[in-house]
Amino acid sequence: MREVGIVGVGHTKFGRWNGSFLDQAATAAVEALRDAGVDLAAGKAHIDQVFLASMGVGQVNKISGAASALVDTINLRPAMAETVENGPASGASAVKLAYMAIASGMADTVLVVGAEQMRILTGWESTDFVATMSHPDAEYPYGLTLPSFAGMFTRLYMEKYGLTETDLAIVSVKNHENAMHNPCAHIRLVPSLHAITEDEDADVINPYVADPIRVYSTCPMSDGAAALVLTALDTGREFAHKPVRIAGIGQATDTHVVAERPDPLDLFAVRESARKAYEMAGMGPEDIDVAELHDAFQILEIVESEEVGFFPRGEGAKAAREGRTRVDGDKPINTSGGLKAKGHPVGATGVSQVVEIVRQLRGEAEGRQVKDAQTGLTTNFGGFGNNVVSIILTTKEEG
Amino acid sequence: MMELYAYRCDACGELHHPRHFVCRKCGNTEFTEEVLNGKVRVLSWTKVYNLPEGYMQPYLCFAIVKFEDSGLIVSVQINDDKPYIGQEADAAVGVVKEAIGKDFYGFIVEPIAV
Repeated sequence: MREVGIVGVGHTKFGRWNGSFLDQAATAAVEALRDAGVDLAAGKAHIDQVFLASMGVGQVNKISGAASALVDTINLRPAMAETVENGPASGASAVKLAYMAIASGMADTVLVVGAEQMRILTGWESTDFVATMSHPDAEYPYGLTLPSFAGMFTRLYMEKYGLTETDLAIVSVKNHENAMHNPCAHIRLVPSLHAITEDEDADVINPYVADPIRVYSTCPMSDGAAALVLTALDTGREFAHKPVRIAGIGQATDTHVVAERPDPLDLFAVRESARKAYEMAGMGPEDIDVAELHDAFQILEIVESEEVGFFPRGEGAKAAREGRTRVDGDKPINTSGGLKAKGHPVGATGVSQVVEIVRQLRGEAEGRQVKDAQTGLTTNFGGFGNNVVSIILTTKEEG
Repeated sequence: MMELYAYRCDACGELHHPRHFVCRKCGNTEFTEEVLNGKVRVLSWTKVYNLPEGYMQPYLCFAIVKFEDSGLIVSVQINDDKPYIGQEADAAVGVVKEAIGKDFYGFIVEPIAV
């Protein structure tokens, strides 16, 4: 297989986008193409394929064939084009497909764009939109949502491992602090740990969303887009940046119905996707200098940090309490601010995670830079863990 | 009275809910319906305040419960403001969502008074 690297990144400011879906996607795409040094003049870009990742472009924006529309919008005709919909894992799925297209020899250079507009919906509508990934008979009609499952998962984890609401808040505050250094983050404020946990008004400042999950232990609804330029490392084509190599990609699925899992606290697909990525890269958790984990709920950052092998089972919260997951810790997690504070435009998230790792490995993560970072991991979590993609990126030479 | 069903694999006897097209144990595609009811035990629960559109309540409580007879585990609405892990309840079937021109039926478990 051919080696594949990333030579361009682009990222809109997450939050509210006052424009069209295509303008938002194009903004990130053009930034990534310019970052790579690609000439946008007609016929000169030499982009063979475009993958557009979005969970809601058809359902929310009522645009079909969106990748074709994007290619024309940014003047990349006659590039091949597909839209990728894989729930909140759409972004990393698109990166995987781009890797496959290049590694197979079908394409040399590929543009991946992840984009979502969630703030054009009301709160009820966006909650319903996200819930459409649950089981259509056994979950969705009940009103069960992703926060519902996260609430029940958190309560079980608390029962088994002694996790507290303060543990969740510690992870939240850490990610908000990181987001203060990320100009693309949706929420750039740092809540006081005391105010959201012990203050007499904590229930007002930080109300329950899905008991025991509160506002500050779940992500916001965001608009946003992120983009990457991937290329084969054997073409000799020159770009503006040295490639960050994709060393490994793993993906795994789990039961659609959450209640059917033999162990309700087992995020099998996270563990299996990471195992496959480590195997492909010839690496292990000890090789990871920085990670972006899918913290749609703070409990997920804690449990994913265990499932990808950073910490033993039941000790993810202890590691966070000890500061080990901070930017200056030994396993920095979500330096971008994570989904919690950077935001979670669902289809864009997996691409955005890779953008952050590329910035870290290039040494461009100003204010949140992990010292000497050479290898990073992303984990992008679809449904309530029924489709997960993990990616390992590195600046180290192969072998 | 509305009933909900489990689906027992005709080849290996594995019980499923909801219906699966292929048995998750042996790969068979033939099933026999069985009424799913009786006592359940709460494994976990949550009280949700931001419901999706179509639910005109300020909050709803949900639980993952285990049927004592069959061992099947399902997600349900629970008709209790303060459920607890280990709580016993009776599985009942009711309208879990009212939509225009169509009601959706599902499990609404009723706690057993202790």
